[in-house]
Amino acid sequence: METLGIFKDTETAGRAVESLVKSGFPEETITSLTSTPYPDGVLVKTNQRTWFRWLSVGGGIFGACAGFALAAGTAYLYPLQTGDKPIISYYPTGIITYELTMLFAILGALVGMFMEMKLPPWRKRVYDPAIGEGAIGISISTTRDQLSRSCEAQKIMQNAGALRTTSEETL
Amino acid sequence: MSEHEMAAKSAKQLNDEMLSSMRTPTWRWYGLAFFLGAVAAWGLSAFTYQVMTDMSVTGLDRPVMWGLYIVNFVFWVGLSHSGTMVSAILRLSQANWRRPILRAAEAMTVFSITIAGLFPLIHLGRNWLVYFIFPPYPSQRGLWPNFRSPLLWDATAITTYIIGSSLFLYLGMLPDLAVVRDRSSGWRKKIFAILAMGWRGTAREWVVFRQTSTLMAALIIPVAVSVHSIVAWDFAVTVIPGWHSTIFPPYFVIGAITSGVAAVITLMIIIRRVFHLEDYLTPQHFDNMGKLLLVICLLWSYAYFVEVQTTWYAHEPIEWEVFSFMSGKYTPLLIFMLIGNSVLPVTALCFRKIRRSVKMMLVITVLVNIAMFIERFLIIVPSLSHKNMPFIWGTYSPSWVELSVTAGAFAGFALLYTLFTKFFPIVAITDVRELDVRQAEVRLGRAKLPSITTKE
Repeated sequence: METLGIFKDTETAGRAVESLVKSGFPEETITSLTSTPYPDGVLVKTNQRTWFRWLSVGGGIFGACAGFALAAGTAYLYPLQTGDKPIISYYPTGIITYELTMLFAILGALVGMFMEMKLPPWRKRVYDPAIGEGAIGISISTTRDQLSRSCEAQKIMQNAGALRTTSEETL
Repeated sequence: MSEHEMAAKSAKQLNDEMLSSMRTPTWRWYGLAFFLGAVAAWGLSAFTYQVMTDMSVTGLDRPVMWGLYIVNFVFWVGLSHSGTMVSAILRLSQANWRRPILRAAEAMTVFSITIAGLFPLIHLGRNWLVYFIFPPYPSQRGLWPNFRSPLLWDATAITTYIIGSSLFLYLGMLPDLAVVRDRSSGWRKKIFAILAMGWRGTAREWVVFRQTSTLMAALIIPVAVSVHSIVAWDFAVTVIPGWHSTIFPPYFVIGAITSGVAAVITLMIIIRRVFHLEDYLTPQHFDNMGKLLLVICLLWSYAYFVEVQTTWYAHEPIEWEVFSFMSGKYTPLLIFMLIGNSVLPVTALCFRKIRRSVKMMLVITVLVNIAMFIERFLIIVPSLSHKNMPFIWGTYSPSWVELSVTAGAFAGFALLYTLFTKFFPIVAITDVRELDVRQAEVRLGRAKLPSITTKE
């Protein structure tokens, strides 16, 4: 269950995060919702490690195989003998292999990005349109059976200067 | 806009100003869209006439079988080159001044490569048999479509580039689409909600987003270089005098960047004026882009000089014949090209005052692109006119059909761009606002310092 507090600036949002951590909420359950990126630690600390690049690498390998099969495979299936030149020409095969490698690496990067961000979401999540206008959102995740913790988090955020708070329960 | 002025504006004000292009269209906007649509429709009707008749309605005839359509193709591919590439290079180098110009440049790439991709199909003749060129089509009727033909290299490279640059444009827009979603209502909100994919701007989303932007920028640059190299190989791998040259791929890439950078500046000037974005596209941006154009024009001048000097010194008869024919028959065009691509930009852009003058930059960049279109013409037509066999030497003049299709292509590009600016944010809002946040000043003793240090 997610609880969201909306703050007018980074100072109050930062204070809320500090209070939440002091009250025993694990830092990895707290995140910020902003319309511009902030350096790590200004609002919350986030895991910087990502795995989506591997999908890009996988896409590139798949593209290379597909490109080679497309260029060399069609030449092999429909052979056109030109003098004593080879049926499978290295130069065009290299070009097509390269282009498809890059194409699928790009596609892999984008698909991997969405997978890693878990977008599009399968359920409705807490959000406030004021975030797009510069407000700062601080969200904390608790389990469904921790309703009291959610209420506690809302109180802490209100005390820190939240303009309003909402909970996933109210959606 | 100065940092102080930026800081003085709230996020809402910044959003309002940068999304001003998306306000309800005025009658002038409808008038422009109608005019561009009418010219594009005229081009389309000329193409329909060509399909209904045959290729004899064009000026193409032996020995010149590549004419204005292929000139257009090379020109539009070239134009597409710089948008994404400039954006990607500036992203990788973390140049802060890039932020307001990213979107305009990336959108230009997508629309110009789309227009470019149409020209091989327009040029094809018997368009209803277009599926014959797509592999793996069996070798019926004695046709062997295979990848030995550079035209299929083109098709593959352009497809990759259209998809890659469209995704690059979309990726950069993702946080902005969420901002637009939050401000929209009705059917617009539904569309932008789908396009924004549920983006909320969590800290984790930003981490992944930034890493993806860097990776995509690194991936798209070699694709951009390969596309124009492959277009150059369309010419260079033939044995036609004037084309069969090892310098062609880098020369084409340099030419492409020249026209692309010039076009980005032209579009920046138009967008700035039309949408009153003077606070975001400042003389500093034109100064920096002017320096970039100066360097690229110098490189182009060097490459052209090397090409001509080698031909002149070697004096290989057929190569020299082609150059003599070109410089004799097309003297005014050749002079215009040299002035527009070399003499004028190289001399004028040395002066800071000119680089910071919006009017002067508009004149220079438009001339650079007219000259670059002429350059494409002078590469293609003279070489085909005077090939190795003198008994089939000839000339070429474009017909009204080719000129109409060309006009339609320019109008189509402008129309796509006009529609894009109305439906999508033309300035990268979150990128600009990120700089605003980073440069917001805090007081330390008597001094004021940036709140977050950034690499310049």
